[in-house]
Amino acid sequence: MLEALLDQFRRGDRQAFSRLLTLASNGEIPQQVLDQALSSPKRSKVVAVTGSGGVGKSTLIGKLIPLIRKENQTVGILACDPRSPLTGGALLGDRFRMVSSTSLSNPTEDDGVFIRSLAAAPGHGAVAANLAPMIRLFDAFGFDLVIIETVGAGQGDTAVRDLADVVVLLLQPETGDELQWEKAGLLEVTDIVVIHKGDLPGAEETETQVRDVLALSEGKSAKVLRVSSKSGHGVEALWQAIKSVQRAGTVMTPVPNGV
Amino acid sequence: MDNRQSIRIVLAKVGLDGHDRGIKVVARALRDAGMEVIYAGLWQTPEAVVRTVADEDADWLGLSLLSGAHLTLVPRVLELLRQAKLNQVGVLVGGIIPEEDIPKLTHMGVARVFGPGTSMAEIVSFLRDRAQQSGAVHA
Repeated sequence: MLEALLDQFRRGDRQAFSRLLTLASNGEIPQQVLDQALSSPKRSKVVAVTGSGGVGKSTLIGKLIPLIRKENQTVGILACDPRSPLTGGALLGDRFRMVSSTSLSNPTEDDGVFIRSLAAAPGHGAVAANLAPMIRLFDAFGFDLVIIETVGAGQGDTAVRDLADVVVLLLQPETGDELQWEKAGLLEVTDIVVIHKGDLPGAEETETQVRDVLALSEGKSAKVLRVSSKSGHGVEALWQAIKSVQRAGTVMTPVPNGV
Repeated sequence: MDNRQSIRIVLAKVGLDGHDRGIKVVARALRDAGMEVIYAGLWQTPEAVVRTVADEDADWLGLSLLSGAHLTLVPRVLELLRQAKLNQVGVLVGGIIPEEDIPKLTHMGVARVFGPGTSMAEIVSFLRDRAQQSGAVHA
């Protein structure tokens, strides 16, 4: 059955692609099968969008979709929401927000947009399991861009760094004091920091604090942008910033253990 | 790794109908029953709903209609599902559906119509029974 699906997939069958995503998500496609079947080199740019719950990740992605499509780029989105630790159930609502916040009449009917909602179990670093083979499939199907939306993520959820070429961290006004931004974790692995809800009072102060802290870091530091999905201000600048981050090359060398 | 295969269901409202309290209660109940609920929300076109079901590789589609347009919109969705060769996807309808229209909908291919007063347990056990009958969630 897998062979037949892969055949259809190679012929550009969107539903075979969809089915394969499910199998990959369930960990049912062995890595060597994927490697053999999909020989194409990596060309999709992978963008992770992360930040705490309610900060506006889905809404902002909804705002980015028309800009991506305007340049005739295609985009696949892996939208993670939490799975219940008690029942295993999940309410996957990111798609709804993306679709409602976008200015496209209906991105769902656009062949250049593919949204897959995923349930992420607790303790997986705020992303669903098996994202790597899924990204591989998006790549082989020809998507220019893959956006991973994490579960509402806190300070320590840095796992997306390994999967993405570009990490975008969303913060919002009135969160934390100066010391907050000195802490290790997410801010360290970020390429672009978005002060979202930039139309709200306090946005400027948060932006200043984050800029001050990042100015102290050695080497390349993250870009800081103030963005408002409500007014649309800064969305275009964010898209330009995402495009300007070089693929993969930005990944930092991990610190060896025991140093 | 979590390889659990939960029942995946898309819940959507089609057409011009702003009543989403009921569908949200159902969404919550199915979530609490361990299912993966993709909430597609209000004002969806039949085309968008079918594309959502395809891209999400869902097992079920639950449509909520309180607008009276069920005999126009539901057959349209069913036809598009057939055209997309998504015959394996079960369709549920909920909302305000007059008694006499229920057989019409089931005749068209709707698996079940759940009207006002349906208990959440009834919907959950219906879906679980069907999943068991088919042997696996994903055959």
